[in-house]
Parts: sequence; C-alpha cells; structure tokens
Amino acid sequence: MKSTKRSVVPAIAVVVGMLALAAALVSAAAGSGAETAKRGGTYRVGWESTFGWTNSFDPTGEYLANSFAINSSLLIRTLVGYNHVAGVAGNAVVPDLATTVPKPTNGGKTYTFKLKKGIRFGPPVNREIVSKDIRYAIERLARPKNGAQYAFYFPVIKGFDEYSKGEAKSISGIKTPNAKTIIFNLTVPAADFPLRIALIAAGPIPQEVAKCFEGQPGKYGRFVISSGPYMIEGSDDLDISSCAKMQPISGYDGKTRLVFVRNPNYNARTDSRKARENNPDRFEFLVDTNLDDIYAKIAAGDLEDEYATASPKIFREYSTDRSKRSLLKVNPADQTYYVTMNLTQPPFDDVHVRKAMNWVMDRSALRKAWGGAIAGDIAQHVIPDVLLGGALKGFHPFKTQGDRGNVAKAKAEMKRSKYATKDGVCSAKECKGILFISDVRTADKGMLAAIQSSAKKIGITFTVRVVNGAYPVIQTPSKNIPISHRPRWGKDYADASTFIFPLFYGGNIIPAGNTNYALVGLTPSQAKRLGVKGSVNNVPSIDNAADRCLATVSAAARNKCWAAVDRVLTTEIVPWIPYMWANQINVLGPKVDTWAFDQNAGLAGFGHASLK
Amino acid sequence: MLLYIVRRLLWATVVVLIVLLLTFAVFFLLPAGDPALRFAGKSPTPESLALIRERLGLDQPWYEQFGLFVKNFVAGDEYGWPGLGYSYNSNVSVLGEVQERAPRTLLLIAGAAFIWVVVGVSIGVLSAVKRRTLVDRLAMGFVLVGISSPVFWLGLMALFIFWRQLGLTGGTGYVPITEDPISFFSHMILPWCVLAVLFAATYARMTRNSLLETLGEDYIRTARAKGLPERTVIIHHALRASLAPIVTMFGLDVALLVGGAIITESVFNIQGLGWLAIDGTLNQDLPTVLGVVMVGAVAVVIMNLVVDIAYAFLDPRVRYA
Repeated sequence: MKSTKRSVVPAIAVVVGMLALAAALVSAAAGSGAETAKRGGTYRVGWESTFGWTNSFDPTGEYLANSFAINSSLLIRTLVGYNHVAGVAGNAVVPDLATTVPKPTNGGKTYTFKLKKGIRFGPPVNREIVSKDIRYAIERLARPKNGAQYAFYFPVIKGFDEYSKGEAKSISGIKTPNAKTIIFNLTVPAADFPLRIALIAAGPIPQEVAKCFEGQPGKYGRFVISSGPYMIEGSDDLDISSCAKMQPISGYDGKTRLVFVRNPNYNARTDSRKARENNPDRFEFLVDTNLDDIYAKIAAGDLEDEYATASPKIFREYSTDRSKRSLLKVNPADQTYYVTMNLTQPPFDDVHVRKAMNWVMDRSALRKAWGGAIAGDIAQHVIPDVLLGGALKGFHPFKTQGDRGNVAKAKAEMKRSKYATKDGVCSAKECKGILFISDVRTADKGMLAAIQSSAKKIGITFTVRVVNGAYPVIQTPSKNIPISHRPRWGKDYADASTFIFPLFYGGNIIPAGNTNYALVGLTPSQAKRLGVKGSVNNVPSIDNAADRCLATVSAAARNKCWAAVDRVLTTEIVPWIPYMWANQINVLGPKVDTWAFDQNAGLAGFGHASLK
Repeated sequence: MLLYIVRRLLWATVVVLIVLLLTFAVFFLLPAGDPALRFAGKSPTPESLALIRERLGLDQPWYEQFGLFVKNFVAGDEYGWPGLGYSYNSNVSVLGEVQERAPRTLLLIAGAAFIWVVVGVSIGVLSAVKRRTLVDRLAMGFVLVGISSPVFWLGLMALFIFWRQLGLTGGTGYVPITEDPISFFSHMILPWCVLAVLFAATYARMTRNSLLETLGEDYIRTARAKGLPERTVIIHHALRASLAPIVTMFGLDVALLVGGAIITESVFNIQGLGWLAIDGTLNQDLPTVLGVVMVGAVAVVIMNLVVDIAYAFLDPRVRYA
C-alpha cells in the first residue's frame, strides 16, 4: 500500500497540474474572449447632441458616467480598478496600477498600495508612473480651486480637510516612502476605500503638465496624459517644455470629436486581459445632433455604438427582428428611478399619505413611459439589489398585482392619516392642487398622466409646473417643492453608501444642489437656516444608522447593515415611490464582434470590444 | 454716401449693444437656476459653489459682467480679438469656436441662398409672365408645398431618399471643402436644397407679385409701345424695379440664418453657429450664447447696410442724405 501510494502521488500531481492549467486556459478564454477577438479597426461611437461633460473631461472634476467608462477602460489606470464586465464580477475591485488590492491594517484605517513596475505615462511625458503621481492627483482634487466634483469621497483620508482648507502643506494621511509605495491613513475604518480610490480622479496625473492648469478647472481636460492602453490622438505632438507652448491635444476639440489611438508606452504585461483586451486600434467618439442619424448610421455599419437615447421604436425594431436581436444589449445600470415626496410639505408630511401613494401608484405605467419592460425592472425599494449583494431579494413591501397599484390598500392607509378623508379618499384642502414639478423629457408626459391618475384615486390632485431642467428647482430646499418625478440616481461605485449619503443623510442637506430632495433627517435648526417652511419638527432620520454602516468593515455585514437602512426607508420613512431599476440599453452596429457591459460604469466596457 | 455709412455704423453699434443687453437680461431674469450648480457635481458645498461663481464671474452684479464683456469685446482678451471669453462647458475659447463653426454656417447659407435666389426668382418671373397658365399654377403649387413643408421633415425625407435609399449623396456631417471638395459638395447638396426650398417658395411668390405689379406700370407700357423686345422689357425694366423688396428680404434672411439655421444644422449634423447657440442655451453657457448672438447681430446690421447700399444701384431715385 505504501509503495503504491508513493507511485500514485506524483501521477496525481501531474494530472491535477494539467487540469489546473486547462482550467486556467478555459477560464481565461471565457473571461476575455481573447481567442476569438480580432485586433484592429476603428470603433466609432455616436454621441447625441453634446458631450455634456461636467468639467470638460478633466479627470479631477469630471463626473459624467460616460467619462468614467471611457477613462477607466481606455485612458486612465487607477491603483485598483475593475474588469469592465457585467454583473457582480464587474463591480468587484481588482488590481490595476497596484500589485494587489490590499487588505486594510490598523483596524481598517490603513491601506498600503505597491505599484507595479514598468508602467509609464503616454507621450509626451513618457516617464514611469510613481506613487507621487497618485498623491499629486489626490492633492489636486483636494484644492477647491481645481473644481473637483466628488472630493467629498476623500475627507476620510487623514489631513485631507486641513489641506483642503489651506491649513496644511500636504495631506498628512498620504505617505509615499518610495516611488512604488503609497500609504493611506484614514480617520475612520472605511471598507469602501478601495472603491473610492478606484475613481478616475485618483488616477495618476503628471504634475509637470497639470501644474499649468492649476486653479483653472476643466482646462486639463484637453491635455489629459494617458496612463492606459490608449491616448488622445495627437498627444505625441504636445509640447510640454513650457506651459506657454502647450496647445490642446488635437484629437479632442472640446465639442464634437474625441479620438483615441494606441498609447505606444502601454505595456500589456502590466495589465490583465480580463480588465482590458484593447482590440481596436482606434476609438472615435463623435457628436451627432441628429438622433435618427445615429441609429441610421449604426444600422448601416457607419457607427459601432452609441451614447444616445433610443426611442421605443428602435427598441421594438431590435427586439423583434431576429437578425438584429443580438445587437441590442440590455443590462441593469444600478440606477433607481423614483418619485420624491418632501417630508416637510403637506400632505406628504404624513407617513400614511406617503404609504398610500406607494400603494396606489401604477408603477407599471411609469415604467411604460420609459419604454416598458426593456427599460428596467420594477423597483420596490431604494437601493438596487446588486449593490446589497442580494440582501433584500424578495423584499417587495408595496407589491401589487401587475404593479398597477392597489386602491383598496391605499385607501385603508389614507384613512389612517391626519388629513380628512371620506371612504379613504382625501378630502382635505392640503390634498388638492399640490405643486408638482415636472420636466420636458419625453417620458415625463407619460409619467405625469400615470401619477395624476393614480393619486386622484385617493383624492390627491396636483398643480403641475413643467420646468426645462427641473433639477435646480427641486435641489433648492427653500423652494419647498412637495413632489417631483424628475429624480433618478445611479451609483458612483458599487457600495450602497453612494445612495444613502447623498440622498438621505440629514447632515448633507445643503441650500443649493441638494440631492436629499425629501429632506430626510432635516433638523429644525437646519430648516431655519435653509428657509424650509412646513412640518420641520420630528422629521425622521437615518443618520446614526448610516454612520454605523459606513464603519462596518466586513462586506457581508455592511450589505446587511445597508439593507436594514433601506428597509427603514422603504417601510417606515417612505420618502420615495421607487418605480424602476433602470437598464442601460446599447444598440450596436453590425461590425461589432465582441462587446462587454461595464457594470461599474453602467455603460459599455470598451476595453473588451472588438470588430469583425 | 460715406457720411450715411458712418452714421449707420454708429447706429449699428447701439443696436448690437441693445441686443447683447437683452441677451444678458434674459439669462439673468429667466428662472433657469444657478449656472454654478452645473459645475459643482453632486452635493456641492456652499464654499465650492462660491468658488465656481467667483471663477465664472457670476458673483458680480450683472451690469458689471456686461461691462466686462463689452470691454473684452472691444479690447480683446487672452484668446484674441474680439474677446468673447471662453465656454463654461468645454473650456474652449468662444472666439475659436465661432471661427470653427462660422465657415460651416456661411457655406450652408451661401449655397442655399444661391439656389433659392436662382430657383425662386426664376419661378416667380416665369409665373408672372405666364400668368394664369398651367405653368403658373404648377409654380404656385410648388410655392404652397415649399412654404408648408417643415424643414426637419423635408430634411429627414431627403436623407432617407437620396442618401439611405438611393445613395446619391453624402450623408450627414460636415467635410471641410479644403479637405475633400467632392465630399464637401456631396454632403452639402441636400442641406442646401432643403434650406433653399422654403425660401425659394417665398421668393417665387414675392417675385411674382412684385413683377405683376410692375408690369402694370405706365413705363412698362411705354417700353412695349416703343417696340422693345419682351425679354428686354421684363429683364431690364420690370425685373430690376421689382427686385427692391426681394433684396430687402434677402439681406434680412441671410443675416437671420447666420445664427438661425438651427434645424437644418441639426438634421444634417453640420454643427455650425445655430447648433452652437442651442448647445450654449441648453447648457446655460452664457459666453457661448453671447458669442453667437454677437455674430448674428453684427450679421444683421451688416446685411442691412449692404441692402441699403444696393438700393441705390437698383433704384436711381434713392438718394442718401
């Protein structure tokens, strides 16, 4: 037995080794499609009307989702990043510039990243990327004059606020002991720190170029130096010998055309093919003012992809025509569409009215206004399930048959409100002619009719004001807007905190640009300061619960914690009528061979695209 | 004449200033919200909003902003002369944008204007000369169709038929004439024709009416009585006198199209000055809107001046004091 054992063990080892190798190869092929993808060609994307950047493509301040998708796949590598694929795998953080995704030390308050060797900036900088380039990028976004639009994710780094206020010469919580090491010390344990550091604003920026645009938000957008597989066309012609000599890179004209070509300094061995395959030689993003033209060009093979709003007619065409079906890509975008109700404004200052609104609402009709089932799943609570790791799967507190609403349950709830009712129909004057803010999007009209018709069943009527670009109105608490269907929200990264803090945290309510439209957690003193009038006493809050969740390190426990907050919001506070978890829909041209959805960006993962 | 031109130019300056003032007022008085919010991201702090307002100059009273704009316009700014500032949205110099977009719009207008004048005036003359014949009725039928067809519909139909179905023309987009003249014509022929249809119809109608009125004048009867050939009577005597109102309209139409060919530019993805104006308006990009308004206002003033001068040549009775 003994000898037999001795002779069998090496054989088993060989077989296991071969199986492992085969499995690895199969896994690599399945993950990347590398064996089938063809290299070369130009991948052209039609862009509807205008780029619409929030900060002129400058990564420090740029907040447009499209920019996240383009930058993270093509132009900018971050310490850690994503594989740019669909589903839960696409939301998982993987190493990029760093060798690993580090485990936190010091009780979850310290993260040490080691940079890979051999990664260089694209032309004309050409030098190796070092830890100070990351530090510079974060300090750049900390300086308010540079217009960073999501600097609020970084005060968790020790000394960030002091530096931001000009009270310190550097951010004390960032250490760069050598060219390849960067250490972040945090003020509190933040389990989502790797997700924050994966934001493109934290990607390396060469100081020798960006210093020329200090205090000029957005200006660096036409001079972005590549750290990724592609660079802006014409980057190699950029003269960086002095600030005065720098002229914008020719491949990006700021308004109509953004072109990427291969970065000659990119070393594929420092990257993972699971994250980026880099098949096309060139990417062109072209603004087109004619929406029909974009889809006609896609159909004709003159474009490969689009950043545009397809009409229901296009959806129908591509979903019913068998030859085109494979060119229609529908993926959950981790976004919630909802109707917001202001907790301080009558009659929505009564939770029973808010619950009644949830019961009576014809969510199916609201979704239909966006194009029907293809537009997304019916939402029954606040945070998309994927961000909670399935912790709220099957949680449908206001589920009704066909999602068309339940008048009986709504009336029963309405009877419990403080407002006068007759057979569950509100007869109080507070329920009549409530100011409702709408917008001019195509879907708004259809939604409005559905909301009015649903609410009328419980005696609630509206005075509708249609505003072209309604956000500034509903984002100003002093305007005391009772209800609006304008909002929708998507994650910045795959953590529920990116929903809870901007949307429900009382401490974050601000006088302009406020996104906590319902004013959850508003205190009387805040109300006075902000000019909010109405029922400002005893507004419910989730602030303490949110703080607890943020400090929870374990991912599973954290998801559970956020799920509990969602339950409270959905069933006890009820500030919203969530109605749809929206899909991202892409219509592709016939020349596209492989394509992936980037779950983190919620848009196309260009790094995996290839052409026939 | 020189004194007249100088006086007109001075008035023109006042007109342009008033137009700009009105544009400024529209931006400040309409409840479009705080432009700074567009650049502040999610959940901006009051401090960051204040910084943005300061950077964009929005913290100054509107009249000071207006004064600064006028000063920069006259003296020039870091991007050249005239100083139009930089776009809030793209951080691109507005002057550069206008210089980039203007040739597209001007070439669109030039081609379309050539077509509508040739076609419109010819149809008008033919219709007047062949009054109450089949030719006249067909011509007026064209006028009816031309005037009542929306440009966006006509554009989409033209693209569908001539580009997508027949493949006779280039598609949408703009190809600079210096880059590829053939492709330029192939891409521009449809927008030219589509833009020209409405105007050609109007001009045909106007030419017909004006010519019919002139043909009834005594001096036309005299010319005919003298035995002049009908062609000479119509072209040299009647048409010349009939052109005055058409020239007036032509000047105004061309000037208005400088910033107003928005639908044609959008349908054919030409991205000229009209598109720039729309883009600026939708994004609360005041400098861009002002830049286009400025160009449009100057175009209107110049074209008016040209029309007035042209009057003197068309009608010897006109004298400038």
